[in-house]
Amino acid sequence: MNSMPANYLWFIPLLPFAGFLINGTLGRRFPRSLVSAVALLFTAVPACLVAWLWSTMLGTGAPDVLHAATRPWISITGFNVDLALAVDHLTLIMLAVVTGVGFLIHLYSVGYMAHEEGYWRFFAYLNLFMFFMLVLVLAENFLLLFVGWEGVGLASYLLIGFYFQKRSAADAGRKAFVVNRIGDFGFLLAMFLLIVHFGSLSFSQVFGAVAAHPEWHGAGFLTAIALLLVLGAAGKSAQIPLYVWLPDAMEGPTPVSALIHAATMVTAGIYMVARAHVIFDQSPAALTVVACIGAATAIFAASIGMVQHDIKRVLAYSTVSQLGYMFLACGVAAYSAAIFHLMTHAFFKALLFLAAGSVIHALSGEQDMRRMGGLRSRTPMTFLTMSAGVFAIAGIPPLAGFVSKDVILYQTFASPNPIGKLLWLIALITAGITSFYMFRLWYKTFFGELRLGSERDPGNAHVHEDEHDRAQAVHPHGVHESPWIMLGPLAILAVLSVVGGWIGWPAAFGGSDHFEHFLDPVFASTAALHGASALNADQVSHGLEWGLAAISVLVALGGWYAADVLYRQRPGKSTQLAMRMRPLYEVLEKKYWVDEIYQSFIVLPLMMMTRGVLELIFERGVVNGSGRASAMLTRGGAWFVRRQISGNIRSYAGWLALGAAAVLAVMVFGHSLLVHL
Amino acid sequence: MNYDHIILTLIVFFPLIGAVVLALLPDRGKTMEWGALLIALVTFGLTLHLPFHYAYGAQQSGFQFEQNVPWIDAPAIQYHVGVDGLSMWLIVLTGFLAPLGVLISWRTIDARKKLFYVLFLLQQVAMMGIFASLDMLVYYAFWELSLVPMTILIATFGRTENRRRAAIKYFLYAFIPSALLLVAMLWVYAQTSTFDFPTLTAMATRHSISGNPAALWLASLAFLLAFAVKTPVFPLHGWLGDAIFEGPTAAIMILAGKTALYSMLRFSFGVFPEESHRIAPLMIALGAIGIVYGALLALVQTDLKRLAAYSTLAHLSFIIVGIFSFTVAGLNGGIYQILNESLAGAAFFMLLGLLYERYGTYEMRQYGGLAARLPWMVTMFVITGLAMVGLPMLNGFVGEFLILSGAMQTSFAHHFFWTVFATLGVILSAAYMLTMIQRVFYSHVGPKANAIEGWDLSAREHIALWPMLALFLVMGVAPNIWLRAIDSAATRMANQGRAAVATTPGLPGQLTSASAPRITGGGQ
Amino acid sequence: MTALPANVFALLPEYVLTIVAVAIMMVEAVLKPGTSRKPLGWLAILGSIAAGVISYCQLASGPITAFSATVRVDAFSVFFHIVIACVVVVTLLSSLDYFEGNANYTGEYFALVLFGAVGMMLMTCSVELLMVFIGLEISSISTYIMAGFRKSQASASEASIKYFLLGSFATAFFLYGIALAFGATGSTSLTAIAAALGGSATPHMALLALAMMIVGLGFKVSAAPFHVWTPDVYQGAPAPVVGLMSTAPKAAAFAVLLRIAFSGFGSMSHRWTLMLWILAALSMTIGNLGALMQRDVKRLLAYSSIAHAGYLLAAFTAFPREGIAAACFYTASYAAMNVGAFVVITEAAGFQESLRTVEDYQGLALRRPILAALLAFFLLSLIGIPFTGGFFGKFYVFAGTLQAGHVWLAVVGLINSGVACYYYLRLIASVYSRRGDGLEAERTKTSTGVAAGIALGLTAAATLLLGVVPGRVLHLAQDAGSILQTTQSTVTSGVTGPDASPQQR
Repeated sequence: MNSMPANYLWFIPLLPFAGFLINGTLGRRFPRSLVSAVALLFTAVPACLVAWLWSTMLGTGAPDVLHAATRPWISITGFNVDLALAVDHLTLIMLAVVTGVGFLIHLYSVGYMAHEEGYWRFFAYLNLFMFFMLVLVLAENFLLLFVGWEGVGLASYLLIGFYFQKRSAADAGRKAFVVNRIGDFGFLLAMFLLIVHFGSLSFSQVFGAVAAHPEWHGAGFLTAIALLLVLGAAGKSAQIPLYVWLPDAMEGPTPVSALIHAATMVTAGIYMVARAHVIFDQSPAALTVVACIGAATAIFAASIGMVQHDIKRVLAYSTVSQLGYMFLACGVAAYSAAIFHLMTHAFFKALLFLAAGSVIHALSGEQDMRRMGGLRSRTPMTFLTMSAGVFAIAGIPPLAGFVSKDVILYQTFASPNPIGKLLWLIALITAGITSFYMFRLWYKTFFGELRLGSERDPGNAHVHEDEHDRAQAVHPHGVHESPWIMLGPLAILAVLSVVGGWIGWPAAFGGSDHFEHFLDPVFASTAALHGASALNADQVSHGLEWGLAAISVLVALGGWYAADVLYRQRPGKSTQLAMRMRPLYEVLEKKYWVDEIYQSFIVLPLMMMTRGVLELIFERGVVNGSGRASAMLTRGGAWFVRRQISGNIRSYAGWLALGAAAVLAVMVFGHSLLVHL
Repeated sequence: MNYDHIILTLIVFFPLIGAVVLALLPDRGKTMEWGALLIALVTFGLTLHLPFHYAYGAQQSGFQFEQNVPWIDAPAIQYHVGVDGLSMWLIVLTGFLAPLGVLISWRTIDARKKLFYVLFLLQQVAMMGIFASLDMLVYYAFWELSLVPMTILIATFGRTENRRRAAIKYFLYAFIPSALLLVAMLWVYAQTSTFDFPTLTAMATRHSISGNPAALWLASLAFLLAFAVKTPVFPLHGWLGDAIFEGPTAAIMILAGKTALYSMLRFSFGVFPEESHRIAPLMIALGAIGIVYGALLALVQTDLKRLAAYSTLAHLSFIIVGIFSFTVAGLNGGIYQILNESLAGAAFFMLLGLLYERYGTYEMRQYGGLAARLPWMVTMFVITGLAMVGLPMLNGFVGEFLILSGAMQTSFAHHFFWTVFATLGVILSAAYMLTMIQRVFYSHVGPKANAIEGWDLSAREHIALWPMLALFLVMGVAPNIWLRAIDSAATRMANQGRAAVATTPGLPGQLTSASAPRITGGGQ
Repeated sequence: MTALPANVFALLPEYVLTIVAVAIMMVEAVLKPGTSRKPLGWLAILGSIAAGVISYCQLASGPITAFSATVRVDAFSVFFHIVIACVVVVTLLSSLDYFEGNANYTGEYFALVLFGAVGMMLMTCSVELLMVFIGLEISSISTYIMAGFRKSQASASEASIKYFLLGSFATAFFLYGIALAFGATGSTSLTAIAAALGGSATPHMALLALAMMIVGLGFKVSAAPFHVWTPDVYQGAPAPVVGLMSTAPKAAAFAVLLRIAFSGFGSMSHRWTLMLWILAALSMTIGNLGALMQRDVKRLLAYSSIAHAGYLLAAFTAFPREGIAAACFYTASYAAMNVGAFVVITEAAGFQESLRTVEDYQGLALRRPILAALLAFFLLSLIGIPFTGGFFGKFYVFAGTLQAGHVWLAVVGLINSGVACYYYLRLIASVYSRRGDGLEAERTKTSTGVAAGIALGLTAAATLLLGVVPGRVLHLAQDAGSILQTTQSTVTSGVTGPDASPQQR
């Protein structure tokens, strides 16, 4: 097969955009079949193009980086940015994930959304998202990347708020956008600094410049740029302190959660850090910060995930914690490991969400796990596929999750970073917790008896009101397996979750680190920098790697066992346990009150200050008050002047005489006065 | 034949002729609407002559389409018009907005149409004159003239009983500083015995306007004050809220911003480059504060028009930050943002007006959940809102990005801080814009929205809105079409500023050096 | 025409007016009370037009001096002659229908207007203080009577009496000033006075003389603090008369003040500049403040005329050339717009003054759009909006003061003009807003007579032309200025006698 012309790159993002335009403008009049046909077509073709691109890039003599023809975008004296696309191996992976998983989820949505209002709207937004996501990964400069970056935020805003009549959905959408904007604030500042110091935003120029100046290692301005980029990444990839929007984002339709809030968009932060690794490598401080944020987020989110009841929220928190893993990997300069986990996570997390969606679909909208159970028999296919996902994320060998997570754990342990061991420990504990809450979900959903209609405890009834009205008509006999158009993608993703990890099978276990070597051209500079440690790690310590793997597997099994005990063997036990450790349970179930804290320590004070100080005192008082005051003054003068015109002729004569006297005085003495002054 | 030498005169005075004709026509049926629309369209067509015959190129620094005939010999007042990269697109923009203004008033103005459209066209004349005049006194004449139709429009077609107070407030706020401006202009004339702008700006670069720095300083302040109030700049925005609250849509579409900002760029910077640099730190601070202040107040408003007023303040403050950074990027972005702000603001006001036509209120509490009923309306609102909050690929982003990066490039630590502060605006603007959209269109259906059965956009409204949206996209994706001309003007201003400052002690000479591409470890 | 002896030719306009006036008196005496007086009015109009034309012709044949150098007809006096003639014409036009059927013996009125005009013209062209005084008296007395011409109204008589008493009080000051001047210099001829004051240190008596005369003229031009009479009188007097006396006599008085200050006491300018600086600032501020909260439209315009007197006085602080030119131009433009405004009021309110307060004017735009538009236009011109006479009036005045270095006076003045727009705008705004009750239709007659139409047309055209092509009038004003300046320079340089001037041109 001959190689793909570079300029065809433009079609990859632009086709979904065309789909968006068609469905967005005419979709309302189309029949649903046509809408979905358009949407699928304009996602499938880019996927094929990506496949062609792969073959091209893997072909012999293919360049490491493939540049499409550029168009000037903003060009002024002394500064210009182009609309430029480029592909390297890192981008290839992202492209594969985005288009592949994206297409599957489009397919799934055809079934899932079949009965929803605004069907056309949904698919138009999905295509819009594909457009921006592809721009994001294909961009050759920071500004174009930022275009995709903001664009996916927009798409996610629109899709989270898809059920806009639901106040909670609209709120969640807005929250997502605004919190992301906080991250973008950092991203923008980083770009300004880049312009100030490099006069350009193009990857090649900036990274080339950094690579050319090894003496900048640890330079203040590089650290500043790196940290600001991290702020942006934290916003997009839902890391501490900006993770709060992701759980709420579950208000969106489940396919959206799967595509945007698990597989693709939220990984943009990791992609960006990996993309800018040249800068990060020069700033150890920033890397350490990244690692700490990652580890902290991982365990923090996982701990919350243990006690959630909404099936989608559990998955949401697990997403946050998995993203933490990837951040951690970036933090220890194991970028390829991060990307590897990004890929496998895309598989199994998309799978989990879609399966959960299938469950919700089966229960006509019920999302509360306390009202599920026993679905193993009722929805066998869903059960099978979901199990694959659960085992994968829990890190049971030889599934994908195990492989990628193990690489991260090992790299963390082996990293030269002084606190590497500590981070490894945290990551290990997180692995245990992860396996626990995933199996908890598994048991509560598929085992035991179906608990539909049972009362939920009033404690968090309010959280679920909206599902409640959607789950009105449900009764046990209504439960049904999903149609094939939904199960098909599930099956494919299940297979990928099992075997997807094998391409990166570590050399230690007789594999060949295919994945890592595939990315070598991208992260060459890193290898050169950390080369020493990484290399002899590969050679020497296979024993160590075996050991670490064994430990992590044991931990995972331990988590499984705990869940098994609590939720299968002795179902009542969990509640007793919760009772016994009430305070801890509270803290976890209330998610450490982070939202409340933000609300009452940042949002409310700001509003108070604005209403009270700015609007009442400053705006009313100073801004308008000054005008009013001067008006008052003038009126006073006017009143005084008019009081003199009494209509009384004697007073007039008096005025005349007085004036005359004044004139005389000024005439005679005024001059000499002036002279003296 | 070649019309270049009279095209500007045509552009400025065609609406005047139109207004006279309109005044003579009988006010029957839709005569006024169609007449005004026709005149506005022809004017727009005339303005399009400029970009197509403009001589582009960075070296192209002088004025084009000039016409210079003596008007009064003593004092020497010339009728001197001409455009450069700074004013050309503003003229086109003004021409572009006029027909939309007519279209949007089609239904709302049902009584005393003749008065309305005649005044509307006169406003057009004044603004065109402001942008075209190169003789300071002729400019001043148009500048003052521009107050009158606007005031009467607000006083006559205002919404509530306070309309007259709002109108007079607007006039006084604008007129009293303009009186000081006139004093300053006459003083400059007394020093230089010319009103001709090119001559004056040349003298300014040679520091030969006056040997008395204190007096120059005061004069520059008089200039700046007049423009800052009219813009408005942060603490001087007292009139804005009421004027926007009362004014009819077509009037407030063209109320704030561009004329004053243009005047600032042209005359404050042109005649007082050095003084403008001296006051820049203050202005940048005010701008940055204005951005955050306006956004915060917009966040807590419950009335759509008040919200729009504060968001206008915030967006104009962005421009202030940009132009007073005196960097190439900042000036480019600032000038470009004038176009963007005028367009997006106009579109926003048009949409608000359409909502008001349907539901008769600007109170947000009355709305809600309209998205289901007015799908096109909500689409327009969302796109306009996104353009205003600076979403990439829409016009607002290019301007804001250039402005902030330009402000960051100045070598003052002070500017650096304020730039960071100003960048907070991107968060807050998203916050209030999305909140507004949500309150009006999403979640539960509000009382008014429930009571009244609205209707989605009509064909006429589509015609009025689509050009805007198209422009948002084009200006976001292909800004070079505009920047090509703007860049020459911006670069010239930045260099002139540097030249003026370089010869002045006490200010860093290489103020804009950071705008040149450089690979350095600066900041270590 | 120059064939005529100088004594005849110099005062030809005055003669014509006098003859016409006397003729009108005669006819009036024989006419029956019921019959229409309009023909008399037209006669008066023709007479004043003739006077204007003649004085314009005088311009061609250089300066003329007559009556043993007490009268001097030059560009300066001609300028004011023409202004006065135009004002008179417009006033008469607007009065034709005003009095018709409302008052008896209106023939007297036309005659009085003409006599007043004679007096004013005499003031402007006499270079001899006693002559000036005579002119002043003629004009004043006729205006006193006109002020009370709405005989039925009590307010009219009150206005007339007040004006008369205070007026004579002020005239006394002026007369005393003349006496002191004679004492100081041994002459009442301005040229002689100038010569006497030329070299030597200025005697205090001359200062007192000038002060006294400033008081007297300050009253005529209603400059603060001698403005107190203005609001009452304007309120009481008939609208057309107010239009006349707020412009023509002022113009004359200013002409006199210019002559006295620049050519008579020019050598003492450093002494009186400060005085007039203060008077100017005071008048502007007091006038505008007084008008600010004023509800009665005529009183409002009275205060505004005080303020405008202030702007005009500011011109005296400029260098002679620019100052005089600016003052002349301002007089012309102010005459145009103010008379115009009063013509509109005459038309809108009618003889019964049915519209008094600002609120009464609500809805005028609906009833009589053209009239409303014209009123708005004149008021905008009074504000000083560009492309109106008012703008260039202010422009030249303050340009002059700035060139003379009086920056702060310019600041005060322009701030004042800012404050002033508040009350003008209030009137405009109410004109353009509809009122609650729909019964304004029958409040006034809604048709505008031909004569009044012409009057409106003339004033509007004048105001507009002065704003768009001020060149011609400005040239006249500058000639006038240069005349006065040259006479001053010549006399101060010792060259006495008016025959010096022909070489100057």
